[in-house]
Amino acid sequence: MNMKINVVNGEARCPDAPSTQEIIARDKVGAPDWVCSESYQFLGNEDISTERYIDSAYAKRELGTLWKTTWQFACREEHIPAVGDYYVYDLAHYSFIVTRVSKNEIRAYYNACLHRGTKLRASGTEGCANEFRCPFHGWSWNIDGTNKNVTCDWDFPHVDRKELCLPQARVETLGGFVFVNMDDNAPSLADYIGPEAMAHISKWKLEDRYIVAHVSKVIPANWKLTMEAFMEAYHVIETHPQVAPSNGDANSQYDTYGDHVNRFISTLGVVSPHLKGRISEQDILDQFTVGDSSVLAGADRKLKQGETARQRMADMMRNMFEQATNADLSGVSDSELLDCFSYTVFPNTFLFPGISLPMVYRFRPVKGDHRKCLYEVLFLRPVPKDGTRPEPASEICLEEHQSFTEAEGMDLGFGAILDQDTENLLLEQEGLEASAKKGLTLGNYQEIRIRHFELMVDKYVNG
Amino acid sequence: MAESGDTPNPTKGTEGNIPLVKAFTRFCELALLPEGSKKAKKINDAMVLVCHTKGQLFAVSNVCSHQEKFLHVGRVRNCKITCPLHGAQFDLATGKATCLPGTKPIPTYEVRVVDGWIEVCV
Repeated sequence: MNMKINVVNGEARCPDAPSTQEIIARDKVGAPDWVCSESYQFLGNEDISTERYIDSAYAKRELGTLWKTTWQFACREEHIPAVGDYYVYDLAHYSFIVTRVSKNEIRAYYNACLHRGTKLRASGTEGCANEFRCPFHGWSWNIDGTNKNVTCDWDFPHVDRKELCLPQARVETLGGFVFVNMDDNAPSLADYIGPEAMAHISKWKLEDRYIVAHVSKVIPANWKLTMEAFMEAYHVIETHPQVAPSNGDANSQYDTYGDHVNRFISTLGVVSPHLKGRISEQDILDQFTVGDSSVLAGADRKLKQGETARQRMADMMRNMFEQATNADLSGVSDSELLDCFSYTVFPNTFLFPGISLPMVYRFRPVKGDHRKCLYEVLFLRPVPKDGTRPEPASEICLEEHQSFTEAEGMDLGFGAILDQDTENLLLEQEGLEASAKKGLTLGNYQEIRIRHFELMVDKYVNG
Repeated sequence: MAESGDTPNPTKGTEGNIPLVKAFTRFCELALLPEGSKKAKKINDAMVLVCHTKGQLFAVSNVCSHQEKFLHVGRVRNCKITCPLHGAQFDLATGKATCLPGTKPIPTYEVRVVDGWIEVCV
């Protein structure tokens, strides 16, 4: 029987396979509400225009609209724990000094001297300052943004130094993340994210994690195209065949929340529906890998009669992650320990609140080149039980030709997966430019995150 | 602020027929420079900064190569020090400038611990 017949748009699901919720419901340690809910909505099935990926004029419009009016993850609070600590956040030609001005206040100053415009801090840098002093003529500003010095101020009688404060973008924090927004009229961050997704994020306590590794690499594709490579598990069977034996890919769950957040849940420790009947439970366990597989070293990988690979992995990881990270995971469900939870916060951040794949992704367009973007992967581990917060890891900047496996702190198996993801992208960018077809055709369910994302891009860019 | 240096403590060696002298100078007692701290001192006319971070001791010039200001009030993180004035950053192990506005390296010095004292070769 052809499953497409008589099925309302968006209602079809992977046939003859358990749903994500059915898999999770069998776990020994049950999952919380935010895991057990579903929020799919059919959003149409029209093609997505290719202009947005290949037209430099479109990218220019994005800079004047989308990027100027959305909340963006600029840095983690742990980057700037002390007053005067700063982190320079750049987005194409935009640049901000994100700095802590008091214990509970963070500001984002437009990163330009009010004299002749020199950047007060170089792009991509961080440190601690007593003042923000221009290296050109020495005009300087206090940490609170008020003017401290105008060299030879006798020559500037027309400048009112009381008015000469550094202009600011808006700043809000959530889960240890510092967000900035250039739009004074934008909704609050909580309203932007929406109540349902805010309820999820508040449960994760991501403020109690720290950056254990931070890797970045320029990808030869448009930022949206690159993000979309990570929005579905539909590609797993072709792009990552090595993980399909232990990944519920075609039966992953997809949800949207309001305008700016969507997610998938992709179960691990279960066989792909594509390989049903060809893989044993022992095979699943043998091929299981996680983003931080060092914690699994030396584990007993022989299943007992009747035991499932998924349950063994959950039990094993609970013990071994606790030891490896010196963290208390006793209240964490099997699903949170094992599964891949991928949330997108529009426009450019992915949050993965799970324990085995504890990443944050950020994607930013490269200044002056709509065919390139900067992709960053940050791994967040729970802060040790004694509360001592390690220094956040420095960013490792890979060259375009380098493999993710070359980055210090990157698990080799996971680095190879990221290589596979990104190796498709130049071909896709060039293919879209070469194509006679002017639109992308999307699956109704498995690619709903891409449609949800692009609908919002349209809304910001075209009004 | 920087302090004046102690008497050099030379260690002699030879390379071919050319005599080499590695002059280590007592910097301060190790106990006075716990993990996470740093101290600056003048040794043989050189402004030396010793940082104790990530379980290691690093000795570098205390003078930023960008606009010649002192580095000792700068933040140390992940074995790099950042000049507080304009944000130039240097790798403590190699002295290499790792970001603008710094482009030139700062000198680094050999450092060791003898009898509970930090010694620096300048």
